[in-house]
Amino acid sequence: MPGGDFHPWLFVIVAAWVLVCGLGVVVFKKIMYSAVSMVFCFLGVAFAYALLNAELVAIVQILVYVGAISIVIIFAIMLTEMQEGGYALFFNRQAVFAAPLAVAVAAVLTAVLVTADIGDVGEKALNPGVKALSRLLFDRYVFPFELVSLVLLAAMIGAIVLARREEEGS
Amino acid sequence: MNPLYWWLTLAVLLFCIGAYGALARRNVILVIMCLELMLNAVNIALVAAAQFRGGSEGAGSLFALFIITLAAAEVTVGLAIVIANYRNKRTVQADRFDELKG
Repeated sequence: MPGGDFHPWLFVIVAAWVLVCGLGVVVFKKIMYSAVSMVFCFLGVAFAYALLNAELVAIVQILVYVGAISIVIIFAIMLTEMQEGGYALFFNRQAVFAAPLAVAVAAVLTAVLVTADIGDVGEKALNPGVKALSRLLFDRYVFPFELVSLVLLAAMIGAIVLARREEEGS
Repeated sequence: MNPLYWWLTLAVLLFCIGAYGALARRNVILVIMCLELMLNAVNIALVAAAQFRGGSEGAGSLFALFIITLAAAEVTVGLAIVIANYRNKRTVQADRFDELKG
């Protein structure tokens, strides 16, 4: 099939997984439950990439999101988690404003989606594979690549400086 | 019908779930988690568009990779700020950070 295969049933399963886990992040009262739900949501997104024939992105998603970011977030939760059960309530004052806003954003995006002319599926699946992708990354997009590595270095230094405990008496 | 519509619908729904969570919840760490959900939704849209529309030999996947990298940097700095704030205020609830309130 041109434009890559589309398996409706696999798509439905993956979409349901991602959406249910995503909703879990929002509705769970205990933040640790939300974090676990988030990990499963990231895993579902990785399956979505695999379904879209983007193997490299799927692998990086599992490595970075499911592996690294989840661990960092869970560490932060365990460092800060505390009492104050009353504050973890799902329906608070902000929800009254947040829900219509989120629905409005969904409506606008859906309207754009419906009216936009996406057109037909492309002639061939433009899926270059890992080899071509890495060639592209280190050839044509080498400047963004170096820029991103600079951003990562800056983020690392910034995180260390921010989270460092102040020396006593200095 | 172009399957891209279905994928973009999934991306829209996930994005709005994340947006709702980021607006409605008060725990700063949960807000960061919801931001990650939104970034993931954008990534799904990018990869799906690259797959079904094409015309840019792999740039969609590369952009998704860049976004994942920047999301990692963002989480690192964001959580460092949260931890530093927690050390001063002993709380991670966003409505407790009200020093600038007049």
